Amino acid sequence: MTGHVGRRSFLRGAVLGAGVTAAAAAGTQATAATESLPFHGTHQAGILRQLARQSIVAAFDVIAANRAELTDLFRAITDRARFLASGGTPTSVGITAPPADSGVLGPSVPAGNLTVTLGVGASLFDDRFGLAERKPVRLTEMRMFPNDALDAAQCHGDLSLTVAADDTDTVLHALRDISRATRGAMQVRWKINGFSSPPRPEGTPRNLMGFKDGIANPEGTDIDRLVWVSGGGEPSWATGGSYQVIRLIRMLVEFWDRVSLSEQENMFGRRRDSGAPLDGAKETDIPQYAQDPVGTVIPLTSHIRLANPRTTGTDGSRILRRSCNYDRGVDDNGNLDMGLIFTCYQRDIAAQFEAVQTRLIDEPLVDYISPFGGGYFFALPGVSGPDDHFGRALLA
Amino acid sequence: MSRRVVGVVLALVVVVAGAGFAIWRSTSAEAVGDPVISVSRSACGQGWSDPKPGPQTFLLHNTGSVTAEVDLIDPGTGTVFGEVDGLGAGTTRPMQVTLGNGAYAFRCAPEETDPIVGPTATVTGGDERSGPAVVPVTRNDLLGALRTYQDYVGAGLSTLSDQTGALVTAVRSGERGASEAAWLTAHLTYERLGAAYDAFGDSDGAINGTADGLPGGVTDEDFTGFHRLEYGLWHGQDMAPLAEVATRLDADVHTLRDSFADLQVDPNDLGLRAHEIMENTLEFELTGRTDYGSGTNLATALANLDGTREVLNVLRPLLVPRLPRLSEVDDWIGRTDTVLRSGQRSDGGWTPVAQLDRAQRERINGAVGELTELLAPVAAITEPRRVS
Repeated sequence: MTGHVGRRSFLRGAVLGAGVTAAAAAGTQATAATESLPFHGTHQAGILRQLARQSIVAAFDVIAANRAELTDLFRAITDRARFLASGGTPTSVGITAPPADSGVLGPSVPAGNLTVTLGVGASLFDDRFGLAERKPVRLTEMRMFPNDALDAAQCHGDLSLTVAADDTDTVLHALRDISRATRGAMQVRWKINGFSSPPRPEGTPRNLMGFKDGIANPEGTDIDRLVWVSGGGEPSWATGGSYQVIRLIRMLVEFWDRVSLSEQENMFGRRRDSGAPLDGAKETDIPQYAQDPVGTVIPLTSHIRLANPRTTGTDGSRILRRSCNYDRGVDDNGNLDMGLIFTCYQRDIAAQFEAVQTRLIDEPLVDYISPFGGGYFFALPGVSGPDDHFGRALLA
Repeated sequence: MSRRVVGVVLALVVVVAGAGFAIWRSTSAEAVGDPVISVSRSACGQGWSDPKPGPQTFLLHNTGSVTAEVDLIDPGTGTVFGEVDGLGAGTTRPMQVTLGNGAYAFRCAPEETDPIVGPTATVTGGDERSGPAVVPVTRNDLLGALRTYQDYVGAGLSTLSDQTGALVTAVRSGERGASEAAWLTAHLTYERLGAAYDAFGDSDGAINGTADGLPGGVTDEDFTGFHRLEYGLWHGQDMAPLAEVATRLDADVHTLRDSFADLQVDPNDLGLRAHEIMENTLEFELTGRTDYGSGTNLATALANLDGTREVLNVLRPLLVPRLPRLSEVDDWIGRTDTVLRSGQRSDGGWTPVAQLDRAQRERINGAVGELTELLAPVAAITEPRRVS
């Protein structure tokens, strides 16, 4: 909480804004196309995929003793991820060992639209593995923003691993399988389970504040320009990868539920029911800020307006958002611990995520959220084929 | 500790026995047309008319009147490729295997009868055999290992009873520091005997139990033994009453030592202990759950590692031809030893696990975790099986 002043001063803007906003109702159509998620490819399939219903986001610390063991670790993760994403019957081991598979998904493992997305953190490029010279040039440790309340135990990590699939058992199975194959080489640093809600009633899924989250995302050729790393002074091994920002953000949902609808909507700049910008009718409508220069319709301090002012100067700071919700237990004061696993991809964290986040410092919404963990990572290029493995070019 | 270890074993057995039936019956890996193989004294292995290489499923149908165990073996070497245990009379269960070129036969072992080997089938046109398969270990094979192990434990108990005697003397003298040192010496000796928990029966609860499951917690009158004494010594309790705790501990240890010659280590336990000792280390020592004040969980973990080494050493002749990753096991025992010792301070004392820095704790957890994974096959491989 940044205190009473911020909340009250915003309240005035909220009332102002709500009074002149046009009502809007038309719904957008969500297309739930079945997706092909091949494990092999130029990029990791988990980055662009439609939001999976279930996910686990975890950071690991590498405890491998040397570069050769680190290479073995990347090979092992690749082998397991390839099997899990493809599905199949686990090897029978006869009387030589306990079963090779946990059996959680039955005798034959279904692919279940599983993706496994692997990222590397800045700490992997310290002096342990002789990789300092190969660090992606824009990779740093996650910085602290003024409204953050970071818990060191839930920040950073040598690796990030995001498993996403249709069902909870599929992602849990995948995490157990990968952990079992890699215990001596990496250990979990922090972990959080996420989920993405079904469209309510249509369009972009909602976050736990009740608002559609992730409506305006780059598409088509913008993806190449804004998401995938290529050139730009980056090491050649990094081509096809993408910078990944993960921010674990607590939502103070009890407090939020005691806030009036108009105030809520003015904080986001969108209608809660439809997701439409406050000057529009449906979620896909583009806000017309030029016609509202002082923010009488969409307040200048609203989340969407600060995050993406839609000017030529800020176009390059757009990010690909892939966030999901989390829910995990109860506080000492009886409040529910739930919120957002904010995740975004970009080719330059400073010029994109941090530029956006800097504009958002002290936005009215900060009174209702509390970022407590996460990290910056570089999502590796995809595994090109059966003979390739994660990080092969990095470690070669 | 014994209650925990026993509990784990029992729970596993129950789960396997209870779940196996329902799961196997609905397995999607079964396909119409999988060969149905008869299992009985009179018709062992009949029904395998078209041997083929690769992954496949046999439906084993017990046509006899008693429960049977079935193995798919190489009749020349006795190597086992697949096993179904406890196949009830009249029931059918699948066996999934991946077969390379060579000779195979089903071996049926109905209860109370000698096993029978069925007709030989020859697989051709596939890959060379490469999958996991092993020559089974029999109870006879384990006798030598058991004898050696029993001697190790017997000698350890003898040492221990001297050390608990010294512990009583120290506590009676009222010197807390000397008592704490004597406590650690004796406790580590006990923790080195890890593999024999089952064989110690109720004694283990009295000697090394925790306050878990006791309604009164650390003040419960049934909380006795090493951890009770540890709690008192490291929480500033009066030494005089603690002398009674030490005396009782010493008496329990002497009783155990004297009765040990009559106790039998179950042949099945030896292999199980090879990974269960370190499973206990992971669960109770590396979490600090058994720390009642001394902060010596890492020293205990090292003693447990010694106990694991002893089990492996007595089993080694059986493991060398059967466990291809045995040298990896040895490597990780060495690594675990090194990383655990990194928690010893220069004055010889031990860092409590909660006070380890994060990187160090992760290395310790990772080494023990990797070791437990590598040790898990030992139990499967050295489970005694009937072959003739």
